[in-house]
Amino acid sequence: MLFHAEVLITPREGVLDTQGKAVQKTLTHLGYSGIDEVRVGRIVRMKLEAADAASAEKSVKSMCEDLLANELIETFAITVKEAVK
Amino acid sequence: MKTAVVVFPGSNCDRDVQRAVTETLQTQVDMVWHENTKFADDTDLVILPGGFSYGDYLRSGAMAARSPIMDAVKKHAAEGKLLLGICNGFQTLTEAHLLPGALIANTSLTFICKRSYLRVEQTDNMFTSSFKVGDIVQYPIAHHEGLFFLPPDELKELEDAKQVVFRYADPQTGDAGAKYAPNGALNGIAGICNERGNILGLMPHPERSTFGHLNGGSGGDKFWKSIEKAFNERGAL
Repeated sequence: MLFHAEVLITPREGVLDTQGKAVQKTLTHLGYSGIDEVRVGRIVRMKLEAADAASAEKSVKSMCEDLLANELIETFAITVKEAVK
Repeated sequence: MKTAVVVFPGSNCDRDVQRAVTETLQTQVDMVWHENTKFADDTDLVILPGGFSYGDYLRSGAMAARSPIMDAVKKHAAEGKLLLGICNGFQTLTEAHLLPGALIANTSLTFICKRSYLRVEQTDNMFTSSFKVGDIVQYPIAHHEGLFFLPPDELKELEDAKQVVFRYADPQTGDAGAKYAPNGALNGIAGICNERGNILGLMPHPERSTFGHLNGGSGGDKFWKSIEKAFNERGAL
């Protein structure tokens, strides 16, 4: 079966996110008030074949650990959906 | 001392470092494309050069750390032979888990290209044994992701184990630490080695301080000679 997987990778708590800080500062300049924190991450989307959703997720988790995220500085969250034909 | 420089797609200091080593040490330097899976058997020193391997996609050094040559790099280091990563090469060594930590975006969020002054913090390794602790060297930096990061507990372990080799410093006073780091590196860390002392990673570029016509020729040659001297005396670790 074909699955759509999405991985959201964000800087780990306690890791300085200079990009997030810069975005927050600019938003404040633009007049947006009350922003407590901005964290900037990235999304990796992929299509993959797997027997079922659980094995698709397992496979993507392994990819995150091997390459997509650096767990020293980042955390990741995976969502898997069956592709609609 | 036979040396190999790994060339990744996007490396751009590979020939600089080749020339610095060749001319300083009068030695053979192999250029090894990253798709190879081994080095010549008698390779003593492997260098991962600076640059922007794979366009810094995903994270600096992330793709290079998983390229085909890296199994041979790990095997080389595991045998106690010498492994040096400069700038993007340092980032690659951390991504390959050959050195602890990570290099993340400079606090300024800008690319910084300037001279930097470093205090030698440790000489019990294969790279800086000809220096004295407290010596100040000037090797330039050129990076966007040079902020050395480790969580507090692991940072303390690294410091306690005396694995910090170079720290950003004030050349006048000789003070070193976070406040002299142009990139926000924790504890002002510019270069570290592994426990065994045969792997070194540093953000500044000694190859850019090697020739008189570049950057004032500020002592990079001593760095290469130090490696050669340690190698001649001790071989692999």
